[in-house]
Amino acid sequence: MARLKQRARRFAQKPGSADLGPYQALLTSVNEREDALRELSDSELTAAATAVREKDAFGDAERVEVCALAREAADRALGQRPFDVQVLGALGLMSGHVVEMATGEGKTLAGAVAAAGFALRGQKVHVVSVNDYLAQRDAGWMGPLYDLLGVSVGWISENSTPEERRAAYASEVTYASVSEIGFDVLRDRLATDADALVVPEPEVALIDEADSVLVDEARVPLILAGSTADNHADPELAALIRRLRKGLHYEVDDEERNVYLTGAGSEAVERALGDIDLYSPDHVSSTLSRVNIALHAEALLHRDVDYIVRDGRVHLIDDSRGRIAQLQRWPDGLQAAVEAKESVAATDSGEVLDSVTVQALLSRYPVRCGMTGTAVAVAEQLRTFYGLEVLVIPPNKECVRVDEAPRLYGTLEEKEAAIVAEIVEVHETGRPILVGTLDVAESERLSRKLGQAGLECVVLNAKNDAEEAAIIADAGSHGRITVSTQMAGRGTDIRLGGHDQADRERISELGGLYVIGSGRHSSSRLDDQLRGRAGRQGDPGGSVFFASLQDELIGQYAPDVESPSEVDDAGRVTDSGSLATVEHAQRVAEGVNLEIHRNTWRYNKLIEHQRTLVLEHRDQLLRTELAYDELSKRLPERFEELEEKVGRDELVRAARVVALFQLDERWTEHLVFLTDLREGIHLRALGRQNPLDEFHREAIPAFHRIVPDSWDLSEDVLTSAKVGDDGLDLAGAGVKRPSSTWTYLVSDNPFGSGLEETIRGIVNLVRRKR
Amino acid sequence: MLGAFRSALATPDLRKKILFTLGIIVVYRLGATVPAPGVSFKNVKECVEEIDQQGIYSLINLFSGGALLNLSIFALGIMPYITASIIIQLLTVVIPRFEQLKKEGQSGQGKLTQYTRYLTIALAVLQSTGIVALAVRGQLFQNCSVDVIPDSSIFTLIVMVVTMTAGTSVIMWLGEIITEKGIGNGMSLLIFTGIAARIPTEGQNILQRGGLTFFLVCVAALLIIASVIYVEQAQRRIPVQYAKRMIGRRMYGGTSTYLPLKVNQAGVIPVIFASSLLYLPDLISRLTTSTTSEPGWWQTFVQTHLVSQSSPVHISLYFLLIVFFTYFYVGITFNPDERADEMKKFGGFIPGIRPGRPTAEYLRFVLGRITLPGSLYLGIVAILPNLFLDLTGTGQNQNFPFGGTAVLIMVGVGLDTVKQIESQLMQRNYEGFLR
Repeated sequence: MARLKQRARRFAQKPGSADLGPYQALLTSVNEREDALRELSDSELTAAATAVREKDAFGDAERVEVCALAREAADRALGQRPFDVQVLGALGLMSGHVVEMATGEGKTLAGAVAAAGFALRGQKVHVVSVNDYLAQRDAGWMGPLYDLLGVSVGWISENSTPEERRAAYASEVTYASVSEIGFDVLRDRLATDADALVVPEPEVALIDEADSVLVDEARVPLILAGSTADNHADPELAALIRRLRKGLHYEVDDEERNVYLTGAGSEAVERALGDIDLYSPDHVSSTLSRVNIALHAEALLHRDVDYIVRDGRVHLIDDSRGRIAQLQRWPDGLQAAVEAKESVAATDSGEVLDSVTVQALLSRYPVRCGMTGTAVAVAEQLRTFYGLEVLVIPPNKECVRVDEAPRLYGTLEEKEAAIVAEIVEVHETGRPILVGTLDVAESERLSRKLGQAGLECVVLNAKNDAEEAAIIADAGSHGRITVSTQMAGRGTDIRLGGHDQADRERISELGGLYVIGSGRHSSSRLDDQLRGRAGRQGDPGGSVFFASLQDELIGQYAPDVESPSEVDDAGRVTDSGSLATVEHAQRVAEGVNLEIHRNTWRYNKLIEHQRTLVLEHRDQLLRTELAYDELSKRLPERFEELEEKVGRDELVRAARVVALFQLDERWTEHLVFLTDLREGIHLRALGRQNPLDEFHREAIPAFHRIVPDSWDLSEDVLTSAKVGDDGLDLAGAGVKRPSSTWTYLVSDNPFGSGLEETIRGIVNLVRRKR
Repeated sequence: MLGAFRSALATPDLRKKILFTLGIIVVYRLGATVPAPGVSFKNVKECVEEIDQQGIYSLINLFSGGALLNLSIFALGIMPYITASIIIQLLTVVIPRFEQLKKEGQSGQGKLTQYTRYLTIALAVLQSTGIVALAVRGQLFQNCSVDVIPDSSIFTLIVMVVTMTAGTSVIMWLGEIITEKGIGNGMSLLIFTGIAARIPTEGQNILQRGGLTFFLVCVAALLIIASVIYVEQAQRRIPVQYAKRMIGRRMYGGTSTYLPLKVNQAGVIPVIFASSLLYLPDLISRLTTSTTSEPGWWQTFVQTHLVSQSSPVHISLYFLLIVFFTYFYVGITFNPDERADEMKKFGGFIPGIRPGRPTAEYLRFVLGRITLPGSLYLGIVAILPNLFLDLTGTGQNQNFPFGGTAVLIMVGVGLDTVKQIESQLMQRNYEGFLR
């Protein structure tokens, strides 16, 4: 019956219904192969793996062979024999699926088996992790396994030198965080010499925590910036803005996404700045922008929620992970404004030379696969955005965690009181408790309240991330209360009974780890990830979520909630309507995020396409004498003259450098243009035009001008450049690359516009009537 | 534009899309001519030729491309689907559950689409029952003596209702797959097809009146179409600037950021409103007229001045109503205060004008200015067919493919579709860039 149901789901192309059957058949063959392989010596095993490389075709037989070999190798090299489910996962990965494996099932090992499989097939694999620490850890941990299979492995971290990076990329399997790969790709586009390139042609991407990388972070742009004339925000302006009052001088919209000056506000600012007119052409693109950004920093970004200040620097907090996002910055002057607001030293700012989104970065790989604990919920998106199917791997041991129904309260105070009461009650038994909070401020507030109730707890948030490993290691010990942000929500392995698991039996009898969510997250996947901390690998465990009608989630996404009809003495809301509101708010949040993602992608697709074309052209300039050929055709006399003075080789080099410089400059300008265009394109809907089409209509002709313009300008440079002592004086002719460049990620679309959706709604209504 | 079509056909996947769309349209037209079971095709033809008064069904008949009066299997056309969409849209305001679904993004929208489909079926059952009932009682063609449904047993009637309902769901599906896999908006394209399908017949009618007349009508038609295209494209671009970001360099200075206001911001809706309103007195007078007694004074007035489409009263009333509805419609759909508020919220403003109230005032001023020519244009295009009355015979005005609603819809849909093809073409034509 269950199989029939599964079939029907598959037929209807329901998400997460890829067929496990074939893999199970392969698994049987893998198991049959096992005894024969056990007889081999280590070197024979390596030889057997090498033999797979010789095969012309790579079919099921080879896949079975690789898995059997890898299983044996893992047993010998790591002392871990992959479970059947891990082999299934590896098989799924090798077929290019996203596999969903329950938390704590050993995804790293399954991933390594699959990576080795791809490598033995002759493909280069990039194992994409979420951060440098994991990349380094996994590469080191799995190293012996790869050695035994004769597969080379390397890893990259933020501090790797270009040589180290090149060496790592030359390995068959490369472990790196998504941002490092992206930054390498971006930096490569500054090279003026083919030998300076770092990143090889992309082949296979094996993505860890696939839902987080492919969906949550997909629209995050990675930025390559170059320094320019400063546009630091000034602290006086921040001080001026701080004096403004909400409601009187400025207003914040319901979704907390936008802030704007009221009439009184702009008059106050104008007076304070010496009776200027903010909206006159003189001030529009300078002062007014500064004021708006300062206001955004003041009113919409909250300390200890969106960022923390540590060591005199502003650190962003990653929304979905709850930890410091080291490499992230806010775009377009917002970072400087926040720094001015907090009166810390301003960090570098500059102009965007190029950027690439995570989604576009991963779309470069012809083969993609991934693994995560929560994929089914985003299966639809993985299919539309990446053409990936989700394969659900059954758990090794049934999960026996008890998930209680969420508890809803009327007010925030009642909710927090109830959480504290619940903790007190459970704590008496000595059962370890993990409290997952939504932000740093909340984690601190709760720990204070617990302190008042006479309980001791350990706090884990972005502020003390250094102690993370130690805190997590003991989070499962007797009587422990851990209050954490999302940091503990994903990827952490909490062992029952503390780091040495001495107390394991006793804790199991108490019911294992008890997870309390202090509020619902903006996506059900994040809830599931937090729950997944308990009940790992068949351990006992429990979870419960608390929510209140005053939670931010409900305030933002279901603002017109009716007051609850059934409330008990403790303020707990029990009527089904109110309970449904919470689920509704979460679905709206998910829908909004998906819509933003889809929309961003629609626009980015074109930009990415243009980027690829420009890079193709750039590559030609880099590797051939195209620049010399083209420019000598355009300036035959000048080239003859120059060639006599500096020689042909120098002239080829100079032509290439100039052409590359001009192309890069034009591209940077083009990006500015596109950002400007994108910002106002939604207005076109008012004239009954499709904004996306209009975007194309404007962006494409502008793009077509890039290459001709770059040739024209190169021509000018070479005409005017003087001959110096060592060749042509290009710098004197204006060919100046930015003195320094750096890379960062942009924090998720802070200037989002909900306008677009509202207008589209109206327009659709009108269209349909017609 | 022809060049665009040629290169569109030269692009393989675009060609596939266009051919697919054309294929669906052919299927749709075939279905519109196949009579439903139980209908005497010969008698229907006779009645259609005799008919001179189309009454309230004319608009539906227009949308269904003449299929309604042919009593074909696609008799109901796309109308039930349109009606259902509008009803569901309106219900999202009224029913909290629908509103919630709408907010939930894609999955919620999917459910709403599903409801729309169910409602379409329900409406189709209702409408087909109504039409079959009218037809079998001889009321569909009022002055026609022959029976359009010779065998009026209950079984035949039920089969007809079922067939027409099924036909409607097929049309709905055709429309959806055009939107999904073909090019353009399926629903609009099917309406377009229905109207365009009438051109040959009308052309023939005119040709019978002599070659010169035909030639003149053709020239006039081309002129009208050209000017409608011209005006439909016309817009006033109000420059808008955004000041929310600091960027190292800003070279283009927002030339491409503007708020476009169309001259014909209201589209075709005022015309539909006005003509429906003008049918109302006619309908009332018919309902109140008993066969025995003499018609009252006001009924006579309605008959002579309002129903007769060549009467100056009718024409000027029609014109005035359209002008009124244009202002009315622009007024309710484009709220300058809301726009100004939203612009302010997102950091945008019109250079030289302060955000908030002054911006709203400015927008209102410009909108008022631009709506005047817009409404006059709509009115003129709509009453044009009344000047052709001699050529087409009375009662045909709204369906006459060169005037009024029909031309506005055709040009609107046509422009949208061409634009979509063009934009798809642009996205695919990068490859030429490097060579």
